[in-house]
Amino acid sequence: MTDSSQFLKYFDPRLFSAELRAKTKDGALKEMVELVAKGDGVRDKALLFEMLSRREQLGSTGIGNGVAIPHGRSLAVVDTKVVFARSTKGIPFESIDDQPAHLFFLIVAPPQDKRNEYLPLLGKIAELVQEKSARDALMAVEDWSGLRSVVSEALGEK
Amino acid sequence: MSTMSSTLSDKLDRIFRLQDLDIMLTEAQDPERKREEEEMGFRMGTIEKLTAARSRLLSQIDPRDLRLYERIAKRHKHAIVPVEDRTCLGCYMALPTSAVSLRTEPEQLLTCENCGRILYWLE
Ligand SMILES: [Zn+2]
Repeated sequence: MTDSSQFLKYFDPRLFSAELRAKTKDGALKEMVELVAKGDGVRDKALLFEMLSRREQLGSTGIGNGVAIPHGRSLAVVDTKVVFARSTKGIPFESIDDQPAHLFFLIVAPPQDKRNEYLPLLGKIAELVQEKSARDALMAVEDWSGLRSVVSEALGEK
Repeated sequence: MSTMSSTLSDKLDRIFRLQDLDIMLTEAQDPERKREEEEMGFRMGTIEKLTAARSRLLSQIDPRDLRLYERIAKRHKHAIVPVEDRTCLGCYMALPTSAVSLRTEPEQLLTCENCGRILYWLE
């Protein structure tokens, strides 16, 4: 259904941070919203941040093993986007296992999702980070092209 | 995070907030959607905080705008839809030139003449 090249189109070299400065959950969300806005098609950063914080009120998107996948739909964005960000020290994210989050994938989509891409994408990323080898590789990624190869390799193996 | 009013009028901004919140509430209350997220490893708790936020937001919205939104939301999953290439992406009808020219009127919510949904411009 989704091969790696289809999947990689949601990533953008501008939407990448090898080291977040933030030390708090809110700070991390804000920093990632700033990153999304570096790409095209973000209408409103405040609206996007509000949606993401509200989603956290429903339950943390920190899924454990040092991974958080904040996500949601908002009128603030025109297309589906993925941010990859990392924190070597880790950021408290109210995760399921109470451990700090190191790896972040932020996924945002417009409410009207013509090709129905958002949920499969979310599922694919959630699946990718289940593998310890993928998480280790993501922790070692140095730049955008490194991320690209880890992501495509992880998907290509399937 | 205070740059928002430069991109959207306050009027549209509050209605946008409401739709974002309503989409989240709908998904959180859809058993199948909830199960999908839980299977992916996400926690889906109670919606109390979101409904409280919704009530606070409603008190800030112009009652006329709110009536309009709620009337449309009863009929359509998305009350607010984008316009692309002069076409309403709710019903896919082309908009008349008169509607397109009203686009510069920031204090007015524009609706599609055909389906009635509130419009916003993508570009
Ligand atoms: Zn229409």
